[in-house]
Amino acid sequence: MTRERFISEVRACQGRLRRFLTSLCGDAALADDLAQEALVRAYVNSGRFIGNFKAWLFRIAYNCFIDNLRRVPASSVSFDSYEVQHVADASASDDAFRHEALTRALARIPEKERTAIALHYFEDLSVKEIASIMQIPAGTVKYHLSVGRDHLKQLIRL
Amino acid sequence: MKDIEQFLRDNAPETPDEGQFMIETNARLNAVEGIKQTVDSERRRGRVALIIALVTGLVLGCLVTLVVLLYPIQPIRPDQSIFIKAVESLQNGKEFLFGAIACLAIALGLVLLSKKREAF
Repeated sequence: MTRERFISEVRACQGRLRRFLTSLCGDAALADDLAQEALVRAYVNSGRFIGNFKAWLFRIAYNCFIDNLRRVPASSVSFDSYEVQHVADASASDDAFRHEALTRALARIPEKERTAIALHYFEDLSVKEIASIMQIPAGTVKYHLSVGRDHLKQLIRL
Repeated sequence: MKDIEQFLRDNAPETPDEGQFMIETNARLNAVEGIKQTVDSERRRGRVALIIALVTGLVLGCLVTLVVLLYPIQPIRPDQSIFIKAVESLQNGKEFLFGAIACLAIALGLVLLSKKREAF
């Protein structure tokens, strides 16, 4: 893959990639750093790339996110050990407030559920595509989606 | 369930303008390109060093064989001085000496190559 083609492919999907990472880590600046790291990894290995560029890039980005989690232990408390609190009243009319509520709720659910939710609802990817990105069976993706929705419902007052 | 699904679809996180992001991405790709070029030139240099080491070893080996054939082994006489004895011993053992030098040249080339690879 030439550099020009790589750049044009990146330009086409960088918005979705950054949104995906923002929903995973809840911090736009960190998401941009992870996106850049993912793009550098992708560029270095672009000679070996075959198939769906977007799915490939999302898989690399997801791996970068996981690597970052291992490097920097998460400060947030796991959902299981957390006494469930409503993070916000999502019926509020303010868009920014609803986004904030969702970001805070996403930060409280386990990483695999967050990833499945972000890919399915924000990026409109199918269960099969998500399974290929997360490298887990489709049934497990459905499970994470279902449990993730339940957890979010408990956290967000609709 | 539909409520939460609709809520998620309606409230996807927003991303800032792509301009600055693409500028930074290009800068990082330029840096990667520079590193790639350096690694490639190091690999080329490594290959040349390996070829030089091999050719040197081969030439030294040929020279040793030639010297061995041209100057056959002379027996050491008991009446000779220590210096003469040493020179003659050296002459008698020259095939081993030059063989060792050739091996060292090749080994040195290979060690240098592996050190360069480790540096990257």
